[in-house]
Amino acid sequence: MKKIVSRFIVMTMTCIALFTVAVPFTAMAEGEPDTSAASKDTTTSTEAIDAAKAATAAAVDAAKAATAAAVDAAKAVTTDAINTAKSAITEAVDAAKAATAAPPTINIDKTTIENGGTIKVSGQATAGMPVYLEVWAAEHTVKSNLFDSKKDKETGKIPYIFYITEEMPAYYKIFVPKEMQPKIDAAKKEGNKWSYSALLKELGADVAYSIPAVAKIDRYQATLMASIVGSRGKLLDQMDAKENKKRSMQLVKARFRTIGNVIAAEVNVSPDGSYTAEIKVRKGVSPGQYKIVAVSSKDLKSQPATFENKISPPTVYMSNAGTSMNLIYPFVLTLAVSIFGVLMGAGGGFIMNPLLISLFPALPHTIVAGTVTPTVLFSQGSGIFNYSKIKFISWKLGIGIGCAMLLGGFIGPKLTEMITLDQFKFAFGWILIVLAALMFWQTTPGYIAKNKKEQSILNEFKKRAQEASTGR
Amino acid sequence: MKVNFWGQEFQVNMWVGCLGGFLIAIMASMFGFGGGPFMVPLMSVALGLPMYLVVGSSLLAIFFNTTISTMRHYQFGNFDLIFFLAMFPAALLGGYIGPQIAKRVSPLVVKRVACVGLLLLALNLLGVY
Repeated sequence: MKKIVSRFIVMTMTCIALFTVAVPFTAMAEGEPDTSAASKDTTTSTEAIDAAKAATAAAVDAAKAATAAAVDAAKAVTTDAINTAKSAITEAVDAAKAATAAPPTINIDKTTIENGGTIKVSGQATAGMPVYLEVWAAEHTVKSNLFDSKKDKETGKIPYIFYITEEMPAYYKIFVPKEMQPKIDAAKKEGNKWSYSALLKELGADVAYSIPAVAKIDRYQATLMASIVGSRGKLLDQMDAKENKKRSMQLVKARFRTIGNVIAAEVNVSPDGSYTAEIKVRKGVSPGQYKIVAVSSKDLKSQPATFENKISPPTVYMSNAGTSMNLIYPFVLTLAVSIFGVLMGAGGGFIMNPLLISLFPALPHTIVAGTVTPTVLFSQGSGIFNYSKIKFISWKLGIGIGCAMLLGGFIGPKLTEMITLDQFKFAFGWILIVLAALMFWQTTPGYIAKNKKEQSILNEFKKRAQEASTGR
Repeated sequence: MKVNFWGQEFQVNMWVGCLGGFLIAIMASMFGFGGGPFMVPLMSVALGLPMYLVVGSSLLAIFFNTTISTMRHYQFGNFDLIFFLAMFPAALLGGYIGPQIAKRVSPLVVKRVACVGLLLLALNLLGVY
């Protein structure tokens, strides 16, 4: 570009120079009468020709020098000109963008889905800009919590701060342009250590991240003492908007856990700016209204499009768990597990919790632990009632140890929400291994022989107790 | 502490019993199970009490733990009523059917099956497979 411009200028300059020289030369050659000195003393034609020749040579020299000067000048001018032009172009493009970059439009092909489904989204965005689709459940929020016990890189201190929000949308996902798939795949390779905020930044999708950013987050300073008395700790001041956004991203990860739940590359953006996307809403998410917003940049957002997720019994939405589930599954599972629990002589909780967590990954482990616990309450109560009828309980011993267990039971549930699912799984895994070892020990010949004796004594006592209670 | 049970007197080391009970209670309430299979060995092996004393008393002790941890889980919003209502009738039904089947199967076989099943579950949780 630069070269062409400078060549063009040089050529023009040369042409002008030659033309100015050539005009008098032609006039002289034709011998037309002139008012100049040369034409006045036209003694012989040869003389005139010689004079003309000399004049031409001089003119050509002058022209040459002029050209050289012109080239230099042109060169200087060109560089400046190009720079000016460049900035002018950038300004023009920006101006054009500002003028033409309207917020994206959005259209969806249907307004209802049945327990998840696919929605086709299309619209028009400004050419050359990315399109992100932010989708969230507008009707239901869930709880998300996180215990920050990671060492701060700058201060080297462990913060021990517990973050909790009740305003996390029950469904939240950002759909990004399809060509970003490799970046998502790369993040998936990090396993459980992936960072939501880093991935959003990498994809440029942080411009679309808005709804959880403004969720109200409470934070508590946890201390050992607070843990012992079973409190969350001291409630700290509210965070500023920026810090709130940063923590909310961690809470999004804590709640939805996998990359596939929060990000998918589904948007096809054409060079002319039109886009289409197939949004797949998974099964088992909350019912009610959902909103989609197409986002090109921080200031360019479409109006929200609304659709509804409908669920029908036996699939029911569990508001605390934040998931919809066909209730037949937990019913059948509990039935099977509790029968087996009776047979093996252990409460169903040992099997129920890990099974629920493995089979229904959408259920938070806090909800699983918190809901399975009361189900065994009744069977324990009826067991105590039956034993007490025949006076087969040492109240002194039971209540004595029971008081110690009361303290432990007060602390435990708080710890559940402080640990992550992975820590929960890890600890539970080892508990089950210990339990399996206990079970194995109970099948060893030594134990069986001892147990037989114990059982016969137990039955003897039971019989006596039974007789005593009925005889009265 | 001395415990009198059906005319017999037992010497119980309450320090061991309470400390063990406390730790088991934390674990049980944290992970949402009863804790019976840990309490029974604690009382029978560590405290050296006979089975006929242990069965009822351990149940009573666990009941304390389950009650308070239910309340605490509820307080923290970790209890989901609908989910509970789906599981609770099944647990009752299972508690009714279970003992009837128990008469017909060998406890030894059940325990061996449980042993394998628990190990498989444990390895699944630990992410081995």
